Amino acid sequence: MRMNMRSDLEKNRRKNVAAIAVLAAAVMALALVCLFVGSSHMSIAECFAALAKKGSAAQVRIIWNIRIPRVLAAILAGAGLSVSGLIMQTNLNNPMASPSTLGVSNAAVFGANLSIIAFAGGFLDTGNHLSSYTVGANPYATSLMAFLFSALSIFLILGLCRIRAFQPGVVVLSGIAIGSVWTAATTILQFYATDVGLSAAVIWTFGDLGRATYRTDWIMAVVVAVGIGYFALMSWRFNALLSGDAAAKSMGVAVDRLRFVSMLLASVITAVCVSFLGIIGFVGIICPHVTKKLLGHDHRVSIPASALSGSMLLLLADTLSRSIGNGSALPVGAITSLLGAPFFLAIIFTRKGEHN
Amino acid sequence: MLAIKDLSFRYSRHSPMVLQGVDLELEDGEIGILLGKNGSGKTTLFKNILGIQKPQGGSICFDGEDLLKMRRQERARRVAYVPQSIHFGALSVFDTVLMGRVSYFGYKAGKEDEDAVWAILRDMKLEDYAARNVEQLSGGERQKIAIARALAQEPQLLVFDEPTGNLDIANEQLIIQEARRVAKEKNIGILTSLHDLNQALDLGDRFFFMKDGQIRHAGGPEIVTEAVIREIFDAEVRIVDMEGEIIIINGGQKA
Repeated sequence: MRMNMRSDLEKNRRKNVAAIAVLAAAVMALALVCLFVGSSHMSIAECFAALAKKGSAAQVRIIWNIRIPRVLAAILAGAGLSVSGLIMQTNLNNPMASPSTLGVSNAAVFGANLSIIAFAGGFLDTGNHLSSYTVGANPYATSLMAFLFSALSIFLILGLCRIRAFQPGVVVLSGIAIGSVWTAATTILQFYATDVGLSAAVIWTFGDLGRATYRTDWIMAVVVAVGIGYFALMSWRFNALLSGDAAAKSMGVAVDRLRFVSMLLASVITAVCVSFLGIIGFVGIICPHVTKKLLGHDHRVSIPASALSGSMLLLLADTLSRSIGNGSALPVGAITSLLGAPFFLAIIFTRKGEHN
Repeated sequence: MLAIKDLSFRYSRHSPMVLQGVDLELEDGEIGILLGKNGSGKTTLFKNILGIQKPQGGSICFDGEDLLKMRRQERARRVAYVPQSIHFGALSVFDTVLMGRVSYFGYKAGKEDEDAVWAILRDMKLEDYAARNVEQLSGGERQKIAIARALAQEPQLLVFDEPTGNLDIANEQLIIQEARRVAKEKNIGILTSLHDLNQALDLGDRFFFMKDGQIRHAGGPEIVTEAVIREIFDAEVRIVDMEGEIIIINGGQKA
């Protein structure tokens, strides 16, 4: 019997490794597809040629300066947003926790709106052109403002929660409260905006992977790698946290410190992705839930699997948004929800996918 | 082994004392049982011993070492916890028990940790469950897994909060037997709270009656008297000797 059980355990472990390998292969395949699809209608052969830096200068530029940074952004932001959601859910013992429910995204929206409407549009008088609103004096100014306000929001929530010793319910509620303050402030700001300023601000909030450059990809890569590396190292501690704070503490886990550091890292990942790319909602909820449902709650599996499924969803959404948009890409944030929500509902309502 | 002296605790500076002047001693392999009404401070005392709450005053010593000054991992290797309400997350039984060894391995479990888990599962006749999802087990089975996980910490003291609270009678007996076996075979001390006074008498070596955050009476089975129960629980009971077995019956003498 014992050997049987050992082999059953082995079988489960192999199944998990296989699942992660399949996901990784799917991400790579999708990344290639993503490279080949676009409004310039290059053939696959032309794409490969351009990839090898042969072919026309325009084609090389399209592949290397537009499509590759975009594909990298999809992989990085998808992984980062998805794992951030997973870690927030574990930390707060709340399946609804995600970057958007904790107000981090709302704060980023406010920061970007402030930059676009008040500074570029209102005070700096850059003329009535859409591009001058979004770009402003410095192309990173809006991202920087978005990041600063989400960071402010994070520290506000974490600071408030230190007072109440990080009770998960308190964190979620204060996140919702602070998030609604940012939303209200954004509404007031938009009320005073000019037509062009308003549309620029609204367009910013539509997530768009096209804003990615190599420099933003590098920054995201560092932040996402540090975050996921730390989370992976702490896998067993997160597993212990699933049994509740008291049990985890009794097993020797420094719960308060783990929660503070990992919430901070998850929030910073979100803030960086959102400030560069705009709002890409729902990835942080859909992907972790689907992986947990299919592969179980063990963080040694759910962290890499959530990261890969997040990349996959964003690559898929981006490819779709560019192929059905007829020349201009549809907002990728809308596509992630349109794609993800039905799948998500199907997973929730079927018992077939239940981990066993 | 465990020596608590003059322990006091309150949740914040402005809230009332939850524990005051608590003294408690327990030897290796002894089963100590806390008895008292809900809210008398039993769970809070457990949480202080486990390092989940920090006391304002007093000391908790373990073989002469101050438990309050010990690192978390060190403490986890001495004292383990089986909580009142048990939930795990969807992990295999094997991994759930392996989790108990996190204070030994830190980041990645090694072969000796896995071997230790197999030994515990074999000992508790849980080997057949190893690959199963712990979320799909019954209440009694989960309680057993929680005990197995606590044993994986290789503790000298096991703290059990209301171990039979949510169980049917068959599982209650199973858990009581398991607790007794652990204490006697492995010489692990057990500190627990029980509502059922007969179960308590059946299982315990030492009894601690708590009221309003204080231990009012402590000692062997001889201190369990009608007068003490009346004082602690405000309840009338009769204690009868049935062929050498002491049984506590609800309700006072019929007038």
